[in-house]
Amino acid sequence: MTRVLLVVVGVLLGAYGAWLLLSRQDTDGNIATGTWLVAGVLLHDFLLVPVVLVVMGLGSRLLPGAWSAPVAVGVVVLGSLTLVAVPVLGRFGARSDNPTLLDRPYVAGWLVLAALVAVVVVAVSLLRSRRGAQSGAAPEGE
Amino acid sequence: MTTALKAPTPASFTSRLHSPAVAARVGVWLGVCFGVAFLTGLISHYAQNVSQPIPFPTSPSWGYRVTQGLHVITGTAAIPLLLVKLWTVYPKFFERPPRNVRRVVVEVLERVNTGLLVSAGIFLLVTGTLNVAQWYPWEFSYRRTHYAVAWVAIGALVVHIAVKLPIIRDALRGDVDDTTHDDPAATRDGGVSRRGLLTTTWVAGGLAVLTTAGSTVPALRDLSIFGVRSGDGPGGIPINKSAVAADVTATATSSSYSLSVVHGDNAVTLTREELSAMTQRTETLPIACVEGWSASGEWTGVRLRDLLDLVGAPRDRDVAIGSLQQEGAFRDSLLQGNFADDDRTLLALQLDGEPLSIDHGYPCRLIAPNRPGVLQTKWVSTIEVAT
Repeated sequence: MTRVLLVVVGVLLGAYGAWLLLSRQDTDGNIATGTWLVAGVLLHDFLLVPVVLVVMGLGSRLLPGAWSAPVAVGVVVLGSLTLVAVPVLGRFGARSDNPTLLDRPYVAGWLVLAALVAVVVVAVSLLRSRRGAQSGAAPEGE
Repeated sequence: MTTALKAPTPASFTSRLHSPAVAARVGVWLGVCFGVAFLTGLISHYAQNVSQPIPFPTSPSWGYRVTQGLHVITGTAAIPLLLVKLWTVYPKFFERPPRNVRRVVVEVLERVNTGLLVSAGIFLLVTGTLNVAQWYPWEFSYRRTHYAVAWVAIGALVVHIAVKLPIIRDALRGDVDDTTHDDPAATRDGGVSRRGLLTTTWVAGGLAVLTTAGSTVPALRDLSIFGVRSGDGPGGIPINKSAVAADVTATATSSSYSLSVVHGDNAVTLTREELSAMTQRTETLPIACVEGWSASGEWTGVRLRDLLDLVGAPRDRDVAIGSLQQEGAFRDSLLQGNFADDDRTLLALQLDGEPLSIDHGYPCRLIAPNRPGVLQTKWVSTIEVAT
């Protein structure tokens, strides 16, 4: 059956990876790898997601109905792009002997992006609240 | 709300966005991204292997540029996708184990697999993104570890797909707003529709690519506000390792510099002037770095095969290229026979009609088609043919 076959293949691929991981490095390297493997999940599951849930919860409570969806979309887009950009925003890998590396105005770029996202969010929200008022129905949401 | 804070259960998450109908749709594209990144990663790993039972092809010259560009692009696009996917299925994390003993065993194994997949997936995206920006805040070997964890991730992904196959199939056949597989508590309409969340995810993934890919796709250069390299550099090509970092400034500019070409007992020594006096060829070849950036250049210099002929080297022999650089993993490289014999493989003296800058490898550097940038040895001082 397809599923059983897939499980077998998957376990073999994963086992090869585990063997590569454990056999090609010294203990210190393995401990460092293990730390990063575990830290990533912990930070995501117990910090990032709860923060996102709290922010989203607050947003839907405090914002007018027409605003909550556009703001949520804006937060997802800008938030995930900001995470992607952390290494360049901090320029942690910059080297004084190499001017061709990390050679853009990243913070200015981020500000432009944030401004664009904000403009779109505000424009869409205003449009939605006007449409809601015109149709006579109260905007949905709490 | 207070009980939800104490001990969340899946029922604590009431948004109707927490649905397999959403997770399956994001999951498909996440799977595609991981699949492409895995395959292109294998290609890159093999291209850097010293031992290649099946010779890595020298054509097309832009092959590695495309595969490694795709590797970094799909990995970057996967970041927003993974975040949304994990948020969507987050309530499952708080599911209580079943009472039936046999089911518990299966459930535990499945949870372990999911844990491995999430942990390996996050690890790959984080270390990959940091590596692209040349930030190494860890104490393990990046290349080996990223490679090994990729096998773990792809294995766990295949198992995950096998476990979820019926529900994936069902979810994809049905409408995105179908509630068949939803948790009974997940009914609250929070304002964003499921289609809205999916569109948001595609937009975030697309923007992640547009804002970074200019480092390898010249057309996107102006849009890539988060690109690690603007693309500027001497001769229009950025630099990975500078002469200062390689500690070769003195030896590379020394008047006593010479290149030695050795094949067994046959050896010749050439100064840069003597290299310039040989037949010069010009080739348009890309520098394509493992970190995902690339740029095409017009290189001029001596065809490597012409140098090998000076010492009577037979065809199809591996050639060791040594640098003036005294230390570092890439101070030398092994050029496989098919690369050494390719007419486009040069010992370049010029880039874009100007003498090589010292950071690009003055007095001369190797440039071969379809080869990872780290193996395009700079500041070449020895060429040794395997006997």
